[in-house]
Formats: sequence, structure tokens, C-alpha cells
Amino acid sequence: MAEELTAEEKKLLSEMETPELDKGEEALELPEGLEKSLAEEKEKAAKCLDNWQRTEADFRNYKKRAEQEKEELTKWAVSGLILNILPVVDDLERAFASLPVMSKDSSWLDGMKLIQRKLLAVLEAQGLSEINALGETFDPGLHEAVVYQEGDEGKVIAVARKGYKLNDKVLRATQVVVGKGHGETNTQPEGSAETDKGEQG
Amino acid sequence: MGKTVGIDLGTTFSLVAVMEGGEPKVITNAEGERLTPSVVAIDKKGERLVGLLAKRQAITNPENTIFSIKRLMGRKYKDDEVQKDIKILPYKIVEASNGDAKVVMGGKEYSPPEVSAMILQKLKIDAEAYLGDKVTDAVITVPAYFNDSQRQATKDAGAIAGLNVIRIVNEPTAAALAYPLTDWTRRRKRPSRCMTLAAVPSIFLSWSWAKAPSR
Repeated sequence: MAEELTAEEKKLLSEMETPELDKGEEALELPEGLEKSLAEEKEKAAKCLDNWQRTEADFRNYKKRAEQEKEELTKWAVSGLILNILPVVDDLERAFASLPVMSKDSSWLDGMKLIQRKLLAVLEAQGLSEINALGETFDPGLHEAVVYQEGDEGKVIAVARKGYKLNDKVLRATQVVVGKGHGETNTQPEGSAETDKGEQG
Repeated sequence: MGKTVGIDLGTTFSLVAVMEGGEPKVITNAEGERLTPSVVAIDKKGERLVGLLAKRQAITNPENTIFSIKRLMGRKYKDDEVQKDIKILPYKIVEASNGDAKVVMGGKEYSPPEVSAMILQKLKIDAEAYLGDKVTDAVITVPAYFNDSQRQATKDAGAIAGLNVIRIVNEPTAAALAYPLTDWTRRRKRPSRCMTLAAVPSIFLSWSWAKAPSR
């Protein structure tokens, strides 16, 4: 039944369509320019849609990234300041490492050391932590080799400048002296930055 | 379709930028820096290191740490420049069967484009991590004095790194093209003119002048 009906319908439709089409063709022939511009507009619309979708995807990515950056920023906001303070921390350490003999036991010095500790405590509260280097295996992810000399092969045998992490991300890599191997495994002076620097020079 | 980036493949440092909302943006690498040292190394464990990590271990491993590879790009072993470099550089430079200069790293020979590709690959990976999207195409800048074979070597490096190099741009040209993109005063005063200028490089430019040292 359904087939018959459809056949009938088709007949009806074709009868109805033909005159309509004739009319349509006549009507369509006139605005041929319009047809062209329709195709052009369609193409333009497709392009716009494509661009829009792409921009939307870009924006979504951008938003995600902006959130991520914001999160990182809160953790890393102080990094610039701390990075500039670190040389002062280094200087203080070097100063304490080369004390004049006379001042070694003064209470004034103890006070100064307390101030140094206080400074470090403030920085630690911001998430700063020292990178362990001495005696460790050299790791370019944490350490920067500045001298390569005899000593335990592939081990950090001295620290030239301390390195620090800020919230588990390397803020400043430790500058280290790396062992070359070759025999002697004599104990290196466990050292202050000052003595190590002297050796380099 | 993936993203297109602009890469400045420099002798000592490289960097990658992308157009973001009509402005070029330099992408920070995995180490959080805008500049990536153009250094590649193979350490004693046979691991490949690229960028800052390779630079940090350079003095412990000078024979297997390749830097300034750009100087050898597209050069013949017998070229005067290469012969001069051999005397200065700590790593070994050998002659390939086609007469090109090749470098030895970790006991293996690599052509300069292969080494450059390792740098490009790192930039690509870092850019992908930043963009959250695949990077497929790149515009790479070269010095204006680069000859055809040096340009071809740069293109080859891109191909090895899995990048479709859509254009090689001269460094001074890139700088000139980038100027209207960031010159705010002019942009505000004459928006129409600068919009056309910004539309000309619809692709992405790297800026050779963005090489301000971060530290």
C-alpha cells in the first residue's frame, strides 16, 4: 500500500512540479548574477563560520592558559624579587665565611647571624628551598657545571654558588664543580663559596 | 589543522613566537625562559639533552656538546669557514660523503640540519605544551646573507623536526614586518593603515630583536 501511495504521490508531484519548474526556470534566468552572488555569500559564510569556530577554540585555549598562568603567577610572583635578593644572600654567606679572626666570638656577630637566619626564614616562607648538591650525582636539571676537575666521576665535588628552588621549580641552578674521575678520591674541602671561587680563579 | 609558529633559529639562542589575537607572543619554554640555548648534547648515559640542560653540562662533556651549529649549516667541509671552525670548536667535525660538514656526537655522525632539527623539535614541543594544540607549520628566520644551500639546510632541519616550513624569512625583514605589530602609538593613531600592515604577514613572525637577555 505504502509503495502504491508513494508512486501515486510521485505522479502527482511530477505533474505539479513540471509547470512549477518551468516557471521557476524563467524566474531563475533573470537574476543569474544573484545566483553567483549567493554562491559567493555562501562561501563567505562558510569561511566566517570556520574562522569563528577556530577563534572560539583559540579563545578556549587562551582562557585555559590564562587560568594556568594565573595559578603559576601566584606561585612565581615573588620569583623576580627573590632572584634579585639571592646575590645579597650569597654575599652575606661569603662575608660570614671569611670573618676576621678577631670578631669570631663577639655577640654582635651572633646577632648578625640571627639576622641572616631571619632573612632566610622570610624567603623560605615564600617557598624557597636550597638545592642539595654536594656529593650528589651531577644533574643538569638542577646543577650548572662551572668547573670540571679531578674527583669522584660525575659527582658534585664542590659548590661554587648555591642554587635554590621556589615551590619545587628551579629558580637558580647550583653552580658546581664536577668530578672528572682519575684516581684520587680525596675529600674536597667541604666548602664555603669563597674557597671554591678561589680555586677556580 | 595545527598551529603555525615563527621560529628564530639563532647561533647561540633560539626562540619561538605565535600570533595571539593579532599580536606576536614569544612562548616560554619548559624551563620558563623565553630564550632556548641552541645547544644539543648526548650525555654519558646516551641521553639527548637540548637547550639549557645541554648548556649546563657543556664543560663536563665538551666533545659531545654541539653549539653554534648554525655556522655549519649548508657548508662544505672544505669551506674556509668550516676549516676555521674546526680549530676553535671542541667537538669533532668530519666530511660527509657528499662533501658536507658533519659533526660527531655520542660516537655518531649528525648533519647540521639534524642537529638543528633537535633544537626545532624542542621548540615545537614547548610551543605545543603552551598552545595545547599541535604545531604543524613554521616560518623560520635566517640571516640575510644566507645562501641557497644554507636556506635549504634550514628547511631540511624543519622537515626533520616534523615541521612544514611555509617560509624562510630574512631576519631583518622579520624585524621590519614585526614593527607595526607592536608599535602602539602609531597603531592607535592610524588604525586602518596598520590593520593592513598587520594583515600582510597573516602568518607568524619571529623577531630577531626580541633577543633581550633575560638574565
